[in-house]
Amino acid sequence: MTSLEDPIREKLDQLVQSHSVLLFMKGNRQAPQCGFSARVISILDNYLDDYATVDVLSDGEVREGIKLYSSWPTIPQLYVNGEFIGGCDIITEMADGGELFGTFGVERTPSIVPEIHIGDDTAEALLQASAQNGGPDQYLHLSVSKDWQTSLSVAARSAMDVEVQSNGVTLMVDPFSTDRANGITIELVETAEGRGFKVDNPNAPTLGEMSVQELKTLLESGDDFEFIDVRTPSEFETARIDGAVLFDETEYARLSALPKQTKIVFICHHGPRGVNAGQQFTDQGFTNLHNVTGGIDAWSLTVDPEIPRY
Amino acid sequence: MTIEVQANLSSVQIAETIREAILEAIPGAEIEVSPGGIGHFEIRVEAGVFEGLGRVKQQQLVYGAIAGLLSGSNPPVHAIDKLDCIVP
Repeated sequence: MTSLEDPIREKLDQLVQSHSVLLFMKGNRQAPQCGFSARVISILDNYLDDYATVDVLSDGEVREGIKLYSSWPTIPQLYVNGEFIGGCDIITEMADGGELFGTFGVERTPSIVPEIHIGDDTAEALLQASAQNGGPDQYLHLSVSKDWQTSLSVAARSAMDVEVQSNGVTLMVDPFSTDRANGITIELVETAEGRGFKVDNPNAPTLGEMSVQELKTLLESGDDFEFIDVRTPSEFETARIDGAVLFDETEYARLSALPKQTKIVFICHHGPRGVNAGQQFTDQGFTNLHNVTGGIDAWSLTVDPEIPRY
Repeated sequence: MTIEVQANLSSVQIAETIREAILEAIPGAEIEVSPGGIGHFEIRVEAGVFEGLGRVKQQQLVYGAIAGLLSGSNPPVHAIDKLDCIVP
C-alpha cells in the first residue's frame, strides 16, 4: 500500500488540526513504549505542561497511515499547529540548538549557574569515568528531570548547556535542569554492585507527614486524593478507615501510572511501613506524598475510637 | 553461511529497488544506497530539487518515494539508518 485511503487521510487531517501540539508515539506520555518516543516525551515535558499524544500501537491504521501521511518512516512524529516538525533525531537537534522555544512559542528564561558540590574522591572518580567514556569534545552532563530523576552522562556539548565548575570537574547542565540541580551533592559510594555515584538533591520533594487530624479534615473536605493502606489484608480486615484502598501490586501499577502531582496519602499501623511505601513513590518522582503519623492506631486513639486497636 | 549469502544478495536487490523508487520520484538525482544489517540501509541523495528546502522537507521527498517499501506488516526495508540529502 503506497497511497493513503481517504477515510484514513481525513481522520489524520482531523487529528493534526485539532491539537496545537500532537505527538504520534508508541505508548503514552506516562508510559512510552520505545526509547525514541520516551526521548521526545522527555524533551516536550521541558517546554509544555499540556500536549496531546496518539498511541500508534493501539491503532494499526494510524500506525501505518501516519507514515504515508507525513512521508516519514518512523515513529515518533511531532505535529505543531498542523505542520509536521520531525522525528526523534530532528526534535533532539532542535532542542540542542535552542530552536524549540520558537516552535512552541515558549519564552526562554535565563538560566542560573547551579552550585554543585563534589568531594575530592568523587571528583577524581568523575574525571576518570568521563575520560574512559568519552573522547575530545565530550563532556560530563548532569540533568535533573521534571520528575527528579538525576542522570550523569558523557556527551557532546550543546549550545544550550550551562557550564559548571566544581572541584576541578567541568559539568554541563541543560537549561531545564539548572534550578533543580542547584545545591546538589554528588558522592562516590560503594555498594554491593560496585562503585557508583549517589546524588543528594535538597530540592527534591520528600514524603510529607500528615497528622490524623489533618487526615480527618482532608477526608471530610471531599477533595480528590489517593488513600492507600499499606498493611496486610488481615490487618485491613481487622480495622480500617473508610475510603482507604489496600495496597498490592495492582494498586502499585495503577498509582505509578498516575500524574506525578497526584496527592497520595499512605497509612499503616504505626507509621514506618507507610514511610517505606512512600519512598517507592518519591523515587519515581511523585511530588505530593504524605504518610499518616502514628498510623491507624493514632486514628483509633484520637479520632475514632470505634475503629478497633490491635 | 548460505543464509548469509542469500541475505546479502537480497539486500543488494532491495537497495536497487530503493534507488529506482527514489529516481522515479526525483528524476536526475545522484543516489547511493548502502545496505547495512538485514533490512537496514543508508541513503545519500544529491538533487537540485533540495535547493531552498529545509532538512525535513528534503527528507520527506525521499521517504515519500520509498514509503511503499517501508510499510506493511513485514516490509523489505525495516529502517533507514542514515539519510543524507545534498544540494549539488
